[in-house]
Amino acid sequence: MPALLLEGARVPVSRLRSRGASLLRSREASVAAFTVALGVSLHVATGRFFSLENLTNVLLDSATTAIVALGMTLVILTGGIDVSVGSMLGVVSVAVGYATAAHWRLVPVSLAGIATGLLLGGLNGALVAYGGIMPIIATLGTLSILRALTFQLLRARWISDLPPTLQPLGLGTLLHVPVATWVALALAAGVVYLTTYRPMGRHIYAVGGNAEAARLAGIDLTRVTLLVYAITGALVGIAALVYVGQTGIVQSNTGAGFELQVIAAVVLGGTSILGGRGSPLGSVLGALLVAEMKNGLILLNISGLAEGMVTGALILLAVGADLLRRRGRW
Amino acid sequence: MVGVTRGDRLLRLVASDRPRFLLGVLLLAVAVFALTTPDFATLYNLFNMTQYGVEIGLLALGETLVIISGGGSIDLSVGSILSLSGVVLGLLTMQAHINVWVSALLGVLAGGALGALNAVLITVVGIPALIVTLGTLYAYASAALVLTNTVPISGLPAGFFVLGQRHVLGIPLQVVVVFLPVALLLHYLLRHTVFGRALYSVGTNEVAARFAAIDVRAVRFWVFTVSGLLAGLASAVMTSRVASARPDAGMGYELQAITVAVLGGTSIMGGEGTVLGTILGVLVITVLSNGLQLAGVHPIWQLGTVGLVLVVTVLVNQWLLRHRVGVL
Repeated sequence: MPALLLEGARVPVSRLRSRGASLLRSREASVAAFTVALGVSLHVATGRFFSLENLTNVLLDSATTAIVALGMTLVILTGGIDVSVGSMLGVVSVAVGYATAAHWRLVPVSLAGIATGLLLGGLNGALVAYGGIMPIIATLGTLSILRALTFQLLRARWISDLPPTLQPLGLGTLLHVPVATWVALALAAGVVYLTTYRPMGRHIYAVGGNAEAARLAGIDLTRVTLLVYAITGALVGIAALVYVGQTGIVQSNTGAGFELQVIAAVVLGGTSILGGRGSPLGSVLGALLVAEMKNGLILLNISGLAEGMVTGALILLAVGADLLRRRGRW
Repeated sequence: MVGVTRGDRLLRLVASDRPRFLLGVLLLAVAVFALTTPDFATLYNLFNMTQYGVEIGLLALGETLVIISGGGSIDLSVGSILSLSGVVLGLLTMQAHINVWVSALLGVLAGGALGALNAVLITVVGIPALIVTLGTLYAYASAALVLTNTVPISGLPAGFFVLGQRHVLGIPLQVVVVFLPVALLLHYLLRHTVFGRALYSVGTNEVAARFAAIDVRAVRFWVFTVSGLLAGLASAVMTSRVASARPDAGMGYELQAITVAVLGGTSIMGGEGTVLGTILGVLVITVLSNGLQLAGVHPIWQLGTVGLVLVVTVLVNQWLLRHRVGVL
């Protein structure tokens, strides 16, 4: 914020106003406004939304999605996609689950989880960057392979009765806010720093905007591609730690369908599926919105079965309205 | 062209065309299973296993059409349409007491309507296909669950099971009366009609197609509608084969359908893909899962195999094209 104000102080008032207007018009602002409006309506309707307990639930529910959505944003910004994150979450959760069950301490378990995720993400990156396979195809492949691997590693059982090693990370709170949310926020700050202030971050946008132009400008496409998938893998590793800490159980279908929830959060947050346009912050807000909506169904006593109808309608409404609005303005 | 041997030329012939490459993979797989697995190469098994490819094959054919139309077109909702059409079939038969065959027809049409709804959101409102069908993937699946309260619909009249459980000359009936006619029709549509040519041209270069007076939006509208119809058809076949309509019947099928279409040589960029390629893709997947099952490989690896085959096939194909055969 201060950087924006400082920069704004040096530009004429008219441009300042247009900058303020563009901030308000930004997708993040409309997602944030929508999130608040939905929260207020839910509170008016049920009187229970803005309680500490309920808000904590919403934050806990959104943390894993938000963490992985940060990485997915980078991947989608380059014009790629990673549909394997759900299966990856399954495999890493198994690794983390076994390590926890073997009474590893928090730090080694965390390092093992992140390393496993990094490795799997790196595999996706290598298939895309070196193998020359289209991202959707490569990650569709690893989606199936890693899901089978999850089954194989669990041998048709599930891991439960885990020691509480990861519980502080999954369920603990710090200053009334879940630790998992602090983790998500810290990671978000890191990713925003990367995309805004680091050359690599600008390269990510450049590759998604026009890969050929980026290559001609001397950007190493292979390196950028490898990096975004590897980061996503590492973030899945962190999300798996949170997930196992929250649920205390790992099953063969752990993470199934998670990829769509993450993509929904990114898309709701305003990142263009065509690449080159979007922001990690928007995706975090998108993840929050998805969790808030799920929570709303519970508060309103609507059957959980209808969740998909509401999520689906929400995605279409948010993106459709944004599109129509933008078209009207142009 | 120094040192081009006959082997290189053969390799080039195979690698330059995905259906040919897949045919090679298929023959190899059949040969390996025939030599290593006693029950594989029986006429009964070879015919009988095709029934498992019908449903995924129908979805993959729809996906092929959609992906050919380009501009990022993809249909993630086919699995959910399959589930919801089956529920429509089941409810119309069991609750509204409509004749089961009429219900099946209405179920297929419901699939078409759901596809058309996707199509309207994509072509009229202008939301990217990936986002529209991601949204309807959730919405249709959830509608199927709400309508049935998650309870599968069974007790359908036994006469309906003919479609999915009988054989003619040892070949499963659904292959003969549903899959082959549909495949032939679509092959004709793509290769010998104005619509087919328009479809490839829209997928290859949308702007050029528009300048050639092709109604790009109409083409895209129809491919998504047809994809929905085929998902409805797959649902009727599946309901008949397993004798009940499960509200989650199509869960996860969308990714398998896309996998098969891509394996068959459909380019995700649009403008490329054939019915024959997709059929070969289904055959490869079907033979592999059947062979592995007979060889005693744990069923959980059948899913993994689909992924492995996809990645390895595309990787090997790419590698052959790049390193062994040079630029074509």
